[in-house]
Amino acid sequence: MKTRSRVRFDPRLVVVIAGYALKACFPTKRRIGLALPAAGALLFALLAHVIPDSAPIALAHVADGGLFGVVLPVGCLVIGDAVLGAEVRSGTLHFTWLSPASFATIVAGRWLAGFLAALAALAVPFGVAGLVAGVPGAIFPLALAAAAGSAAYVAVFVLFGALTRRAVVWSLGFVVLGERLLGTALSGVAQWSPGWEARAVYARYGPSAAGVLHRKGIPEGGSAVVRLLLITAVALVVAVWRLGHLRLSGPSGD
Amino acid sequence: MSMPPPGPPVAPGPTPPVAAPALDPAFVAEPTVVVSGVSVFFGQKVALSELSCSFGPGVTGLLGPNGAGKTTLMRAVTGLVSVSSGQVWVAGGDPRKERTVQGHIGLVPEDEAVPGGLTPRELARYRAALHSVADREAPDRWLAVVGLLDVADRVMDGFSKGMRQRAKVAAALVSNPTVLILDEPLNGADPVQRGNLIRLFRQLGDQGRTVLVSSHVLYEVERLAERVVVLVRGRLAAAGDRRSIRDAMADRPRRVLVRADPARVLAAALAGHDAVGGVEVDGDRLTVATRRAGDLALALPTLARGAGVRLWEVRPLDESLEALFRELVR
Repeated sequence: MKTRSRVRFDPRLVVVIAGYALKACFPTKRRIGLALPAAGALLFALLAHVIPDSAPIALAHVADGGLFGVVLPVGCLVIGDAVLGAEVRSGTLHFTWLSPASFATIVAGRWLAGFLAALAALAVPFGVAGLVAGVPGAIFPLALAAAAGSAAYVAVFVLFGALTRRAVVWSLGFVVLGERLLGTALSGVAQWSPGWEARAVYARYGPSAAGVLHRKGIPEGGSAVVRLLLITAVALVVAVWRLGHLRLSGPSGD
Repeated sequence: MSMPPPGPPVAPGPTPPVAAPALDPAFVAEPTVVVSGVSVFFGQKVALSELSCSFGPGVTGLLGPNGAGKTTLMRAVTGLVSVSSGQVWVAGGDPRKERTVQGHIGLVPEDEAVPGGLTPRELARYRAALHSVADREAPDRWLAVVGLLDVADRVMDGFSKGMRQRAKVAAALVSNPTVLILDEPLNGADPVQRGNLIRLFRQLGDQGRTVLVSSHVLYEVERLAERVVVLVRGRLAAAGDRRSIRDAMADRPRRVLVRADPARVLAAALAGHDAVGGVEVDGDRLTVATRRAGDLALALPTLARGAGVRLWEVRPLDESLEALFRELVR
């Protein structure tokens, strides 16, 4: 006989949900798709070789425009949408939603799956990109910046998946209009942008990166990591609230 | 298909704070699911309008034409869709707000979507883990019940619609739900599997589970459920045992097309019969209006033989369920 009790955050179920999401949300085609950002990271690293500057500075330029400007947000968008938004649209989220697991457990499980996928598809290739660019000292800083940035990006895109069925459009709008447009113009916006904060992590720890990536008014290094963790937490908390208000009306959407 | 394992004792929740009007066929004496004044809007579209009814142990058929609100009602009962007004109670709790209520509910949705790249066994095991099912054999046992054990390790991407539905049935049952919501569960199933699933659902109802099955196929619901609730355009059109619903449907006026030679002679013979409301002649075609289609069917051969008329074709003109449902809400 089932007994009624208040459901709590359950770390065991977080792992169960993350394991399911890694399998169900990343079928073979999407896994192949995730190889593209990884390949992009390596291509950008190769591009650093043709920039007429020292290797660390060339890599910092490539990281600014390519790695953190394109590869990280696009890769995280695909991953973050896959773990929640795509399931809402396809009508399969009910397999998870219809369970005694708390919304916090579900969101944490989905985010964990996305974060793990991002570590494999982005953080590792970013580290390798440092090596390919001929800057071994950039391996760890790039991987750290990608990992911390991915954590925040995936959380934000999970939130969009919970907020709207058009999660991809809104996510793109967030990156292009919010981060690239407003974030470039306004430091106040950039301080809460995963992309700018990920740059700021690398600006502090990357070899000769500060000269290229330093931006006034943006906390760097460990402070940027903390800021990214804050963004992650806030996005996940809102996603938890939103999951309880989601209308899962199936693939038709009506 | 083997017999399903015995179900758990059903744990009725506290009495919902909704009074069930006595003798109203829309309500049952011991409800597990109570729907009270529920309306659901999707933008300007009204999916459910002021719907009140309840469901208890046993199989209840939810009938209605496409767009009647069956799926929306089922999703509201599971909590997947929030209601715009009114209340839904399942096992004494609000399925939208109380996560523990979800432990009582199993859903087989109508849409074909299944998680890509997953096998039926993986899906069933996932559901079992989410519901903290201690019995490790439960996933395989339910897969065997629905006849999918031999393909349990094949990814569902290549499954037919019927196989996907059965995989979802196993995934829904693995948590031993006391309330089972089945939205068009027989879609795509072949005749043998259809019969097996109908037997399974009846057995689950006999075990004391509340089984709510939607369909727009009348004869399927008749085979499945003793009690029927009919929805039309988001409203309750009829409720009660299946015989009373069928009688209500049988007594409605309907039109029958008769092709005969000579048609006018048969028209004259039919005009004097008390089961006939009117006859229109168009060449060799007669359109006969009647409120007693059964009597007409019995009388027609005799009348034709007596008048020396050959019958070429007799068929109802408005036998679609939509026509039946329209008549019910008139």
